[in-house]
Order: sequence, then structure tokens, then C-alpha cells
Amino acid sequence: MCLGVPMLVQSIEGFQAHCEAKGIERDVSLFMIQDVDVKPGDYVLVHVGYAIQKLEPEEAAATWQVLDELFESNELEEADPEGAARRE
Amino acid sequence: MSDAKAREWIEAIHQLDLPSRVRVMNVCGGHERTLSMAGIRSVLPKNVEIIPGPGCPVCVCPEEDLYLAIQIALHRDATVMTFGDMLRVPTNVPKREVRTLEQARAAGARVVPIASPSEVWDAAMANPSERFVFFAAGFETTMAPVAARIAEGLPENVDLLISGRRTWPAVATLLAGDRAAFDGLIAPGHVAAVMGPEEWLFVPETHGIPSAVSGFRPDQLLSALYSVLRQLVEKTPVLENCYAHAVPAGGNAQARRLLDTVFEIVDAPWRGIGTLPESGYGLRPAYAARDARVLHADLADESRKRMGEMPAGCGCADVVLGRIYPTECALYGTTCVPRSPVGPCMVSDEGACRIWWAGGIRSPEDLRTLHA
Ligand code: SF4
Repeated sequence: MCLGVPMLVQSIEGFQAHCEAKGIERDVSLFMIQDVDVKPGDYVLVHVGYAIQKLEPEEAAATWQVLDELFESNELEEADPEGAARRE
Repeated sequence: MSDAKAREWIEAIHQLDLPSRVRVMNVCGGHERTLSMAGIRSVLPKNVEIIPGPGCPVCVCPEEDLYLAIQIALHRDATVMTFGDMLRVPTNVPKREVRTLEQARAAGARVVPIASPSEVWDAAMANPSERFVFFAAGFETTMAPVAARIAEGLPENVDLLISGRRTWPAVATLLAGDRAAFDGLIAPGHVAAVMGPEEWLFVPETHGIPSAVSGFRPDQLLSALYSVLRQLVEKTPVLENCYAHAVPAGGNAQARRLLDTVFEIVDAPWRGIGTLPESGYGLRPAYAARDARVLHADLADESRKRMGEMPAGCGCADVVLGRIYPTECALYGTTCVPRSPVGPCMVSDEGACRIWWAGGIRSPEDLRTLHA
């Protein structure tokens, strides 16, 4: 739930950014970082649909490494389709 | 741990001339997850313990709030929408009654797990003749987006059940006794990114305890740990910002403004722990007409406030306070496993019990191999 996920900004309209990560696309609000200069091609850290900060690309990649391991271990650890759906 | 930077920090930590027992607390489920997944405890000197502390907002969400959410779902013509983790958190009602939001849904109530507050707004806008209750538990990183969404405009048919909590007051409580519960603190990077690192200054300044704000990669956590341990050795407690490129002084001013617009700071109950001063977010009076606590006060069970503890035998409150490790709970891995959790710490992705289980720590023996 508090899982911050780095996403790549694809396009921006007002405070809405269309973002992508691991093939999943999402609309993300830039409302909380409206003072920050964010452009398509930048990475943002997304908490519950809101960007809370801009990220350097290396930081985004390294964070995904940690998340990948987490998702993998969670999948192995339990057959919990509910949980998988929750995490999408 | 293949990363070269991480290896350098590990070596630097091993070079330090440390006391015979050092306890460093982290207060973030994200930190604990990296520590467990990357196996960081196993590469540290055996006298260094890293204790998971209050890092799970789902785990401390008061039982009476969960109970109220379940009752609203069962007895009102409304859809309860809440972050996915909340669905399986058990209340203490008798076995044959509805104990979780998930069971309420199975019994026909409308309960919908969400990943973002926007899903509530979308559903409400698409179904203007129906009522929705947004049940939101979370720390600062979650409550700031919740505040943003509310400040942007609350649809007429959405009511709010807010169980937001602040992180630092829990740590302040841990330090209030005569004997500190830990020797060093790894402060939460994303909370600091939102609220500013300054919130944590009281730890070194008032209590003389070394602290460092950390990011979430293994090498970042190791650098923060090194900072804390070096401060301890040199007896120079400060708050070092080891995540500076993401955590500016003052945090995110816009996020703090939004939090302040929508919420006021209140004394708030933490499940199994009690009421901690200034530790909660409450709706400002302007939103009183949309406060589910007020609107559905008749469904609340006042007596639950007294019995709002953890399920029988569950040591989750002590786990959250860092008084025991998950493996020290008698139910860990016996009756309590992720598939059939007894307590909230085994339900939530941020709960220490669940993270340790996912990280492969199965028994007290597994823990003993890590420490001298
Ligand atoms: S193992 Fe289960 S019962 Fe024990 S403290 Fe953790 S959540 Fe509670």
C-alpha cells in the first residue's frame, strides 16, 4: 500500500501524467510535485497513484531490482490469487 | 549482495570498533523489506541487531475502526473502498461473526480493494446515485495523496473514514522511557521526502541517539547504517541525510500544505498500543458532514475502544514497538502464516511478520544464526 513504485512518464496533461512501468500503464497525479519540473522521459516515484518525487533513472532501475525480488518471493511463498490481484 | 557499493559499506561497517551489542531500529516497511530480501542481517557483524519498529500503518489501525468499516459495509447501503491490505485484517469478534472486510464481502456486502484514492473518485463519479465510504489507513506518504485527492474536490456521494497516523510520535513514545529501546535510528526516506528530515532531529538532539535518513536500495541502507554506527563509535549523534537527492530540507511543501488543509493533528489510538499524543490525522471541521465516524456513530461499538487489542496470542503490538522479533511470537509460523494470518503484522505487505516470512526466516533458530 505504501509501496512506492518508480514509473516512466510518457505524456502529461495538466496535473495528470500517463506513466508506464513493467508494461503496466497508469494515470498518475503530479498534483503534489507541481513545483517540480517533470517532462516525458522522466521517472517519478508513485505512491497510491500520486507522484511524491522525481527520480534519477539509476535510482528507478535500482528500486525496481528490489521490487522484482519482492514480487518473486511473494509469488513463490503463497498461492494467493487475491494478493496477486491486489498487487496487480 | 553482489553490488560493489554495498560490499564496500559492509567492509567499512566491519572495520568499526563497535560495542558488544548494538540495536538499530528502522521504522519503515520498505526498509525492512530490503533488509530481509537482500539478506543484509546475515552479512553484518553478529553484535549488530536491526530491529523492525513502527513501520506498518495497517498493523496499528484501531480495531474499532475496522469494526466500524465492516458494520457500515454490512448494514448500510454503501460501498466501502479501502487499500487492499485492509481486507484481511481480522477484528476480535467471535469466530462465527464477520471478522474481516473480506468476509463481509463474501457475505454480500459491497467492499472494494483499491490501490489509489482516485479509484474511489472514479467509482463515485460513475455511479452518482450510490454512496461510497473511503476507509483510509496510512502513514504520511499515503495520507498526503489522500489529502490531495480530497482537496481537489470531494464528490457529494463519498464519505470518509480516516485512520491516518504519523510516524515520529511513535518513535518519540519509544524514547520516552528512561531506557532507550534502541541505540540508533534509520529514519524513513519517503516519509522524510514528504515531511522533511527535520521531523527526526529530536532523536539525536533530545535523546542523543545517532540517526540517518535512508533510501531503499541495499547500498543506501548500508550507508545509513554505517553513518549511525560511526556516530555511535565517535559519540557524535546527529541526523545525517543519506538520501539527500530525494529528501530536500523541508520535504515537499505542497504535500505538507495539502495535509494541513484537510487534516488536523489529533491524539490517536494505535491498535494494541494505546493513544499516542499528536499521532493521528483527523478530518478538519469543514469535512464533519462527510465523516463516516459521525454519520455512522450508531454502528460503532463503544466497548471495543477498551477491548481494541490484538487477536488472542498475537504479539503484533510488541512487534510494532520493536520489543520482540516476529519469530519470538509463539504463533509465528505455527498458526499464523501469510495464508491464514492471525494478526495484522502477517497480513500487510509492510508488516514485519509477513516480510520476515517472505524473507525466509521461519524460526527463532534462523534468527539466532544471525546474532551472537
Ligand atoms: S506472527 Fe502473527 S500472531 Fe504473531 S505477532 Fe505476527 S501477526 Fe501477530
